[in-house]
Amino acid sequence: MWRRIFVVFLKEVVDNSRDRRSLLVALIYPLLGPAILGILISAVIDVVSAGQARDMTLAVKDGERAPGLVRFLEERGVKVTPAPLDPESAVRDGKVEIVMVIPDDYPTRFRAGQTASIVVVANSSRLPGLVALNHAAALLGDYNREVWGARIASRGVDIQELRPLDIKSIDVAAGTHIAEILLFMVPPLFIFNLFMGGVYLAIDTTSGERERGSLEPLLINPVERWALMLGKYLAALFFTGAAVAVQLMAFSVTFHSAAGGTLAFAEVLSIAAIAGIVLMTLPLMMVAVGVQFIIATVTRSFKEAQTYLGLLPLVPAIPGMVLVFAPVQAKAWMMMIPAFSQTLLLGAFVRGETLPMADVALSMSSSLVAALALIAISAHLYDREKLIFGG
Amino acid sequence: MIRVHGLKKSFPPVMALDGVAFEALDGEVTGLIGPNGAGKTTALRILYTVLRPDSGAARIDGFDTVNDRRDVQRRIGVLPDSRGLYPRLTAREHVRYYGRLHGLGGADLERRIDALIETLGITDFADRRARGFSKGQTRKVAMARALVHEPHNLLLDEPTNGLDVGSSRAVHKLIDGWRRQGRCVLFCSHIMQEVAAVADRIVVMAAGRIVAQGTVAELLRRTGTDDLERMFLSLTGRTESW
Repeated sequence: MWRRIFVVFLKEVVDNSRDRRSLLVALIYPLLGPAILGILISAVIDVVSAGQARDMTLAVKDGERAPGLVRFLEERGVKVTPAPLDPESAVRDGKVEIVMVIPDDYPTRFRAGQTASIVVVANSSRLPGLVALNHAAALLGDYNREVWGARIASRGVDIQELRPLDIKSIDVAAGTHIAEILLFMVPPLFIFNLFMGGVYLAIDTTSGERERGSLEPLLINPVERWALMLGKYLAALFFTGAAVAVQLMAFSVTFHSAAGGTLAFAEVLSIAAIAGIVLMTLPLMMVAVGVQFIIATVTRSFKEAQTYLGLLPLVPAIPGMVLVFAPVQAKAWMMMIPAFSQTLLLGAFVRGETLPMADVALSMSSSLVAALALIAISAHLYDREKLIFGG
Repeated sequence: MIRVHGLKKSFPPVMALDGVAFEALDGEVTGLIGPNGAGKTTALRILYTVLRPDSGAARIDGFDTVNDRRDVQRRIGVLPDSRGLYPRLTAREHVRYYGRLHGLGGADLERRIDALIETLGITDFADRRARGFSKGQTRKVAMARALVHEPHNLLLDEPTNGLDVGSSRAVHKLIDGWRRQGRCVLFCSHIMQEVAAVADRIVVMAAGRIVAQGTVAELLRRTGTDDLERMFLSLTGRTESW
């Protein structure tokens, strides 16, 4: 019987590899997620690293009112430029990222030893604006401390006594920090793709076969119906596996090029790791194809199947999208839920954590049990008389 | 050799078959005829194992179509009601696929495929993909894949439906050849002239029952007419209406 199953498998793989739509879904769609993420990450890294560069430009309005501050800024490598006439609209329109405005009472208050205000105009909804604002705030804080220290010293107090702590933070993530957050998009994109890869085959080999009128003659051959179903199922699984592998390789390539090799994840996503992820998620692929087969078998037409199966990949991807913003601590029971467990495991992998073998085993075995149940249901559906009529 | 007795099948609320019994012998062509909705296709579908009867039984060469499904399937060649092809496979690949599903392979299978392509006149389009095949070409490929395992019994559902005169004649010639080889041929049609021209024996169905069986001459005598169409209407209790 395995020979006949292989005959069906081979025919469906050859048949569908001649189909532009099947190939598109299995080989081209998987590239979209990595491409979008790659563009996002390289854009973010460009902005952040540009903002951190030494030669920051700062527009200062009425800088002559605060010569000490301007000198301080220039000593710190800031290029001070004249400000536009209307700072607020210039910043809002994105002509400049940030403008520092010195009010007219600044010189008198500063000289009198009172608190003098400075207005900083920035647009924090723009990433470059946010970066510039942080940088400017840090510089002003330094200046504040310098002036403050000088004034206290002039009154004969030791500044050390008033500053028990001097906080110097070293952020190792620095430029890649925001990019790392974008990496958490990998699990939902992965799950979506996994549920998408074999969809076209599942429809084509089931509702499609019925609609073409080729199902009835096929069923007359001396092969068990479950064996016909299994051959088709394995072909859809094969295309799903191809889609998953293509996407992982695309992730690896884009992360290497987008971040110039600075992303930790790019290093981790080796060929061996890709093979490991494919193996780890194989039971989930079996679940995905099982669900696709059940839906494609009970729907009456190609179009009906397409309607349901087009939406299907979104459902298991939603938890992963939520986790991008609100990560949870993985618990054992979560490892029992197909799609969710793989989302968590892949999330942990993306963060560079070591995956607990017990969790991997639990995730794989629970998904495998679910997959076998779905296959049994599909086989049962294939055995019904109604199969040739649909519904 | 096909034997059917007491066959009942319902698709509620329709009683598709209501106690059908007939025989089709080796070396003979048996024509199953009846108006649309008489139950011809349902009867054939039970014979070629895709439907199960509610009661009664059908046997092919002594094998039960429900209990010995695999044995039956090895002994029948079928042109079923739906006979679609795979648009992205060539004519030759269709025949090869079915041959392999019958457990054939290697040089033996390729020899059979070549012979069928020759006999059925497929040579010109044997290695073209099926998308865009004409009705006649599609029918030839559907025939070829049904014959690759050289079945002893042939079940054909409206084999010439939609074909032009030339192609229809070719099908009739094919059927005649199988008769000479001693095979058992059962085909259904709603065209009285075709059945009369090709079949040795006629089984007339109406509303899920067998209303008459016999040779053309016997049935004409029984209805007291010399007009085939009038005989058909008389036997099936139909009038010239929709």
